[in-house]
Amino acid sequence: MVGFAVLAVLLVAGGVGVVTLRQPVHAALALVGTLLALAVTYVTLQAHFLAAVQVIVYAGAIMVLFLFVIMLLNVGGERLGDRLAWLRPAAWVAAAVAAVAVVAVAVISARPLPAADVVTTTLAGGNAGSIAEVLFTDYLLAFQLVGVLLLTGVVAAVGLVQRAAPETRPQERSLAGRGAPHEPYLGVGGEGAPVSEAAGGGR
Amino acid sequence: MVATEYYVALSAVLFVLGGVGVLTRRSAIMLFLSVELMLNAANLAMVAYARAWSAGGARIALDGQAAVFIVLAVAAAEVAVGLGILVAIFRNRVSTNVDELSEVRA
Amino acid sequence: MTDMVAWASLAPLIALVGALVNAFFGKNLKEPAPGIVGSVAVGAGFVLSLLAFIGVAGGGEAVRVGFGEFLRAGDFTVSLGFHLDQLSVLMMMIITGVGFLIHVYAIGYMHGDDGYSRFFAQLNLFVASMLVLVMADSFVLMFVGWEGVGVCSMLLIGFWYKDLANAGAGRKAFIVNRIGDFGFLLAMFLTFKVFGTLDIATVTAMAPTMLYGSAALTGIGLLYLLAATGKSAQLPLHVWLPDAMAGPTPVSALIHAATMVTAGVYLIARTSAVYAVAPGALATVAWIGVLTALVAAIAAVGQTDIKRILAYSTISQVGFMVAAVGAGAYWAGIFHVLTHAFFKALLFLGAGSVIHALGGEQDIRKMGGLGKRMKVTGTTALIATLAIAGVPFLSGFFSKDAIVVATFTSGVLADVGGGVLFWLLMITAGITAFYMFRWYYLIFGGEERLDRGVAERVHESPAVMTAPLVVLAIGSVLIGYVGLPAFLTDNRVQAWLARATAAGEFSHPSVATEWLLVLGSAAVALVGLGLGYWVYVTSKGALAKRAGDTVLAGASRGAFGFDPLYKALFTDTGSGAAEAVSLLDKEVVDRGLVSLAGLVPLLGGVVRRWQSGHIRAYAFAMFVGAAGLALVAALLGVLK
Repeated sequence: MVGFAVLAVLLVAGGVGVVTLRQPVHAALALVGTLLALAVTYVTLQAHFLAAVQVIVYAGAIMVLFLFVIMLLNVGGERLGDRLAWLRPAAWVAAAVAAVAVVAVAVISARPLPAADVVTTTLAGGNAGSIAEVLFTDYLLAFQLVGVLLLTGVVAAVGLVQRAAPETRPQERSLAGRGAPHEPYLGVGGEGAPVSEAAGGGR
Repeated sequence: MVATEYYVALSAVLFVLGGVGVLTRRSAIMLFLSVELMLNAANLAMVAYARAWSAGGARIALDGQAAVFIVLAVAAAEVAVGLGILVAIFRNRVSTNVDELSEVRA
Repeated sequence: MTDMVAWASLAPLIALVGALVNAFFGKNLKEPAPGIVGSVAVGAGFVLSLLAFIGVAGGGEAVRVGFGEFLRAGDFTVSLGFHLDQLSVLMMMIITGVGFLIHVYAIGYMHGDDGYSRFFAQLNLFVASMLVLVMADSFVLMFVGWEGVGVCSMLLIGFWYKDLANAGAGRKAFIVNRIGDFGFLLAMFLTFKVFGTLDIATVTAMAPTMLYGSAALTGIGLLYLLAATGKSAQLPLHVWLPDAMAGPTPVSALIHAATMVTAGVYLIARTSAVYAVAPGALATVAWIGVLTALVAAIAAVGQTDIKRILAYSTISQVGFMVAAVGAGAYWAGIFHVLTHAFFKALLFLGAGSVIHALGGEQDIRKMGGLGKRMKVTGTTALIATLAIAGVPFLSGFFSKDAIVVATFTSGVLADVGGGVLFWLLMITAGITAFYMFRWYYLIFGGEERLDRGVAERVHESPAVMTAPLVVLAIGSVLIGYVGLPAFLTDNRVQAWLARATAAGEFSHPSVATEWLLVLGSAAVALVGLGLGYWVYVTSKGALAKRAGDTVLAGASRGAFGFDPLYKALFTDTGSGAAEAVSLLDKEVVDRGLVSLAGLVPLLGGVVRRWQSGHIRAYAFAMFVGAAGLALVAALLGVLK
């Protein structure tokens, strides 16, 4: 119980950090912390395999990708002055209501836990073999679809990011025509800021 | 062992935190981070319930964990495409503020 | 024999083909060709009818020609077929025979008209519809013909539609007829409810087994009477016929004298079995007929238009026919249809010949003395005048006498004023003779009152027009001899039609009484003519001028004011109501909708804000929705 409390505090603190920290890099790091704490939580739930995957894929691969993009684009903190200022309190209220409701449902529909040895033998540390069996039998179609999705994602990412050949870049040329002083994606600082100002602030 | 409700409650808190993040942050990057938080909150609930159902045998209990696995894969694909879009938009717009991406306005 | 009759089924088809040929290729044909096509189509129909006549005369049994099913809905079926018995074959002979002569006449009359081929197409279509009407074996098919002749009538009245008055007259005829058609429809519904079928032969066979004088049967009879008053221009729906004279004269002769207006008489004769068990309806028929005859005859005296006089005369004469069928003497009604078809067609064609000669003049006050200039037209018109007046030994005498005698001896009318009806008809017959003398004398007799410039152009019409006049004149003299009074010799028409219609009840007066009735009706005709001679020849019109100020004369000139009355009663209230509705529409509905429309942008202004285009706002809505769902789930759980 103490362990759970510590983990819960870490997780919530990390979540609040993700949501509130102004600098994207800080937020991303908070999320990495959250994900690692989550991996530990998985262990307490006898899902060792998932905990490992969580660390490797999420905290490792995905978050690295995030940080890479954040740093590539050199995204700064958000400027003050939200056009949708009313959204902030409203969001908190809605979130509180939703959380209370979900917790209420969880408590109402609570069921007793099975005995500890049943859990241990059944899940067996979330052994990879058992999960694979489920995936390749009951969820074969979903598994295949995910494969297709990943392939599509790869192709889409390449297609989106690939730069067109110089003579077929009307967008950029028109930007240049408007007198943009820099190659737009290099010298950019705060989001939404005018190019020159952002460039000055960012570096 | 800690009861399932605690995990689910923790999961709910993380989920709505992520939701608040989606709603209040204006940078597309931050939106993505918040969405990741929400996905993980959901995963936590599924893993917790997998344990709660383990009396029904491995086949049933591991359903939840398998689902988490698939969510992981989908999240990976989503991040790949999402960040690709982000880069493309940023290239044209010099901004990742979603409030400025309001061409879908009626 | 049966085959010979069955071939007559082709008659309407041939007429229809003629109509289609003229409608599609008529424009490319040179002048007389469309007329010849039309005439041949109708003439062929006459030959087929004649063969059928011989066939039915020999066998005596009705021949049914079925072409399969017309309609089916559940248990309800209507066959598509023709019922050829004595009644329908006789009507076919009248339609195609007189129709053929009128078609031939029209070849000359319509010479040079822009719508030459259109005219014959519509005339042939009319003949086809009319044949379907009389040949139909079910009320539904009869209604098809009934509506068909109504449409053709409207088209042909408004034939010269470029003059709005003509088009209006066509529309008036159509609308007034719709009231009658409505009656026909209701009658069909009621017939189906009572008899469970719309097959005429079945209804005829079942009718005698029905409850005598029951309300349902009387209702059927009255509704068919409503239909008949529309098509046959009887009170109170007679107002369309005088205006129908706006059409070309051959149309007036064929549709509005010889054939279509007798459809109502035919309808009642055809449903005679129903009327035989609905005495109340039958008496109403007789009264309507007699009153129409009298009112229209008086109205005819005051008219000055050569065709309007004949129009009122037609209404009056059809009134005689309706009175005859109302008395239960169905044969006498159809007999008068037959004789009337000859002499009234002749009168109209003679009038057309005069109008043709005078270059369109129709006012009889500007005519006179034409008998010397137009010998054939004048002579034939004289024969027709004497025939319609009821002068002995001409056709009109025999048929009119049969009707008058029928009202006198009718068992059905005995309790509901048969004697009054008899005397009213006698008076009407006298008035008929009077106004027909006036008509003839003011056109063909006395001195010329022609407009200057017209007199030189007066000429006898071409042979193609006068030949039909001569044929019709011969018919007007002779056709009556097929129906000599029964106490003198065999009445062929009566015997012939007795097989197709129900038998009425008649008392059998002594031969002396019969002779008295015959001589009486002859005397009435002669008195009417003599009165006319006295007023217009002896006193040279001075008496007519003096009588012109009386109330009756005014009523006659205005035809008893039916048109102004209907205008005030229906047209004005109708347009008043329409204006009120229009006002309501403009001020309430339109304005309401416009202000309602004003709400939309207001509402839109509110809703528009939600569609800000901000993804986060949309996400918020989604999030709130999800939170709401969770809340609902929680509440449901708590409540449980």
